[in-house]
Amino acid sequence: MTAADESIGQRPAVGSGHGGRDDASAAHSVPVSVVALIAAFGVLIAAAAYTAGRLGHAGSPWADRSYWLGQLLILTPVAARLLSRRALSAAETVTLIVVLTVAEYLVKVCYSPAAFTYADELMHWRTATDIMQTGKLFTPNNLLPISPYYSGLEEVTTGVASITGLSVFTSGLIVAGVAHLLFVCLMFTLFRRVSGSHRVAGVALLLYASESLFASFDSMFVYQTLALPFFGLALLAICRIAEPEAAGSRTGWFTVAVLAAFATVATHHVTSFLLVATLEVVTLGALLTRDRKLAAWASMLALLSAAAFAAWIAFVAPLTSGYLQPVITGTLQGIRVLLSGGHTGAPPFSAANGPLENEALAATAVVIMSVLVPVGWRQVRLRYRRQPWAVALAIGAASWYVIVAVRVFVADGSELAGRASTFVFLPAAFMAALAVIRLTDNSLRWPLVRVDVRRRAPVVVAAAAAAALVLVLNGLVNGWPPYWERLPGPYQVAGAERSVGPEQVASADWALAVLGPGNRFATDEGDLPVLGSYGDQDIVGDDQVLYTSPIFTADAAYLVQAQSIGYVLVDRQLSDMLPASGQYFPVDTNAGRYTRPLPLADLTKFDRVPGVARIYDSGNIVIYDLQGSAYYGS
Amino acid sequence: MARSQADVAATALAAGLACGAAAIGAPTAVMTVLGLALFVAPGYLLCQLLVGSNVTGLERAAVIAGLALAVPVLGGLILYATRVPLHRAGWLVLLAGVTFAGDLALLLRRRFGGGAPFTWQLSMHVPRRQLAGFAAAVVVAAGGVGLARIGAATQPQPGFTQLWLSAQRKNEHFLSLGVQNDQGQTTTYRLVLLRDGRASVTWNITLAVGRTWQRSVPLTGSATVAASLYRLPDLTHPYRYVSTASTTVAGP
Repeated sequence: MTAADESIGQRPAVGSGHGGRDDASAAHSVPVSVVALIAAFGVLIAAAAYTAGRLGHAGSPWADRSYWLGQLLILTPVAARLLSRRALSAAETVTLIVVLTVAEYLVKVCYSPAAFTYADELMHWRTATDIMQTGKLFTPNNLLPISPYYSGLEEVTTGVASITGLSVFTSGLIVAGVAHLLFVCLMFTLFRRVSGSHRVAGVALLLYASESLFASFDSMFVYQTLALPFFGLALLAICRIAEPEAAGSRTGWFTVAVLAAFATVATHHVTSFLLVATLEVVTLGALLTRDRKLAAWASMLALLSAAAFAAWIAFVAPLTSGYLQPVITGTLQGIRVLLSGGHTGAPPFSAANGPLENEALAATAVVIMSVLVPVGWRQVRLRYRRQPWAVALAIGAASWYVIVAVRVFVADGSELAGRASTFVFLPAAFMAALAVIRLTDNSLRWPLVRVDVRRRAPVVVAAAAAAALVLVLNGLVNGWPPYWERLPGPYQVAGAERSVGPEQVASADWALAVLGPGNRFATDEGDLPVLGSYGDQDIVGDDQVLYTSPIFTADAAYLVQAQSIGYVLVDRQLSDMLPASGQYFPVDTNAGRYTRPLPLADLTKFDRVPGVARIYDSGNIVIYDLQGSAYYGS
Repeated sequence: MARSQADVAATALAAGLACGAAAIGAPTAVMTVLGLALFVAPGYLLCQLLVGSNVTGLERAAVIAGLALAVPVLGGLILYATRVPLHRAGWLVLLAGVTFAGDLALLLRRRFGGGAPFTWQLSMHVPRRQLAGFAAAVVVAAGGVGLARIGAATQPQPGFTQLWLSAQRKNEHFLSLGVQNDQGQTTTYRLVLLRDGRASVTWNITLAVGRTWQRSVPLTGSATVAASLYRLPDLTHPYRYVSTASTTVAGP
């Protein structure tokens, strides 16, 4: 697939049309290796900030500033170089993108360098550990029941761990890191083929890095991380099939596409669904541009992928519908209410978004992207209207406005919008890249700005770099880890990674060793992922009523009976600290409204309930056995 | 083997060496290098077989890596379906099998089907100064990861002691009574076993860091069994407390 007649990406701010200054300019520009070195120092400084947090300075402003200094050292040189008016070779461009991706991944690794601590990673660690121990797939996972049925990530990880002898954690880091980098490289390759310009591809990937899950969820040890490169490989293969020069290898490319699509199906449900949807959009783009060959191949792969996904759900993973239905139903219901003139009750920006400056940054980023996308559309209309992939990306970019609307107006829409952003950002970033390249192009006649091109160019490039930085920083500020746990540090009640401490892990290990796996357990928000993963226990989510009264109420008794709760884990620190995440329990009716910690009497009441045994005590954590009580199983 | 088949020889050698090293129980460092090579080999061969020389550079590397990751995902399902345990032997058979099959197919294609022979082209020239810059970046970034690991290992954590008293899964007539020291230092305890509130047995225990003390306690009649753990020299306040049934006198 070649670019449109004249690719806009070939012409930087002061380009080859100005006396061939590029080569000379490039010789005086900052070498990519220096950018890599600066980014490496950024990683080092971020790691130092993390270490300061662990040593008791997690709340200190200078540690926080050090972290952001590290991030700026990673982001600024890369953004400046990619948007610079000095020409970059394709190799330099891809190196910059690799530097950005690897550096951000290393910062993520430095957050939890000894073990997985993020809840979703712990869920998949449990599945991988089960495969290592049993040698079988599809072993039950109490924490994330759907995980064993989409075990591609765990298969590769346990394969690496089994053969090399490395731990599941180290193997998981290798697999997730390779998958994340591979996805970025595949997208770069695809964007480069579509636009015919490595510059557009590079800027698109820079903007894609502003997606809030890019440096976190998309590179964590979770199933989507591995499914994404398969998604990208399937798209690349379909892109190559329709090219004239692929005449001799169409069967080969289609086989690659089918293998990648099947691997996606076996790895992640949402990615599988969105692969089918993306192929349909590509088909539409091909039909609109009258590229029948591409339309045929893309629709054929869409059909095969859909059939494979349907068969997988029907015969292997019937849990999928029940797992995804609540999110989809809730969002659709919200949209219905919204369209019928009602109000769904979703505030424009929820308290979970954090401080006002974070919300302001998020709003600015939304505005920047929302302005850039239409400019990109115009570029597609002017220069790429016969290019099926560019048209498909333009169609796909409309979903940007859909997820913004869903996030802002639909109650509980942030879950769906968050999940979709990984995919929605792909076309949106490409459109935004076309816009950025066009707006920084010297051939553009700016209204009202009558400054000499040479004097204007640095200002325009600086503005573009600043806008890109705002976008990427927004992704980090409003991504993961959340602002209240930006740095690792001492234990926090109902936090995220900081709720995974040695005492919590020890109690979970004890529960698995002594009580066995799969017991029905009640616990709080912070202990849940640890008890469910290390402890392999079956956690009851809606258990608030057990912890919020000084006496054992009839509601509590009913819950124990109805949910067959055999054990209760009580973390006495719930009476010492407010919940970092705003909620003490997985389902918490008082979320965000706590002004004081829970009373200790609410937690110790189990000592006085007839028939309840206090079977474990580690100081902060006490485990009660309810099976001897009158309420259990009666 | 001719130079034009060097890739076939290299992938077969990687597979053979990985299997051989696994058979003799080679150390993790060796297995890591050979194992990762074994993971890449099927991806390379599939790329050669399916799209041949139509891809170059970054695109080729990406296709190889993508296929290399897809092989264990789809192959693992086949292993499971054929009831082969997903342990080291199973994975070695899968990856080495795909590699050898791919080698054979590629060899036959080049001999009889007109497939392009292997060629090695290193077109990219990177100046030494640039290489030094990248090397320094790797060292600095690795230093960052090392610093983070040291920080995690030396993070101050409050010590704790675990005490438990629970029914044994294998024998319901006995209780498992145990203490584990995670205080971060050798600690001396006094453990008092109570039956219906009266002291039955007392143990003085000294445990090093991470060590565990365990006993089986017979469960007789309907007596409530409890255990109070004191951390010496404090014999006034129970440090930990467990019980088979609720008591009006709660623990610490």
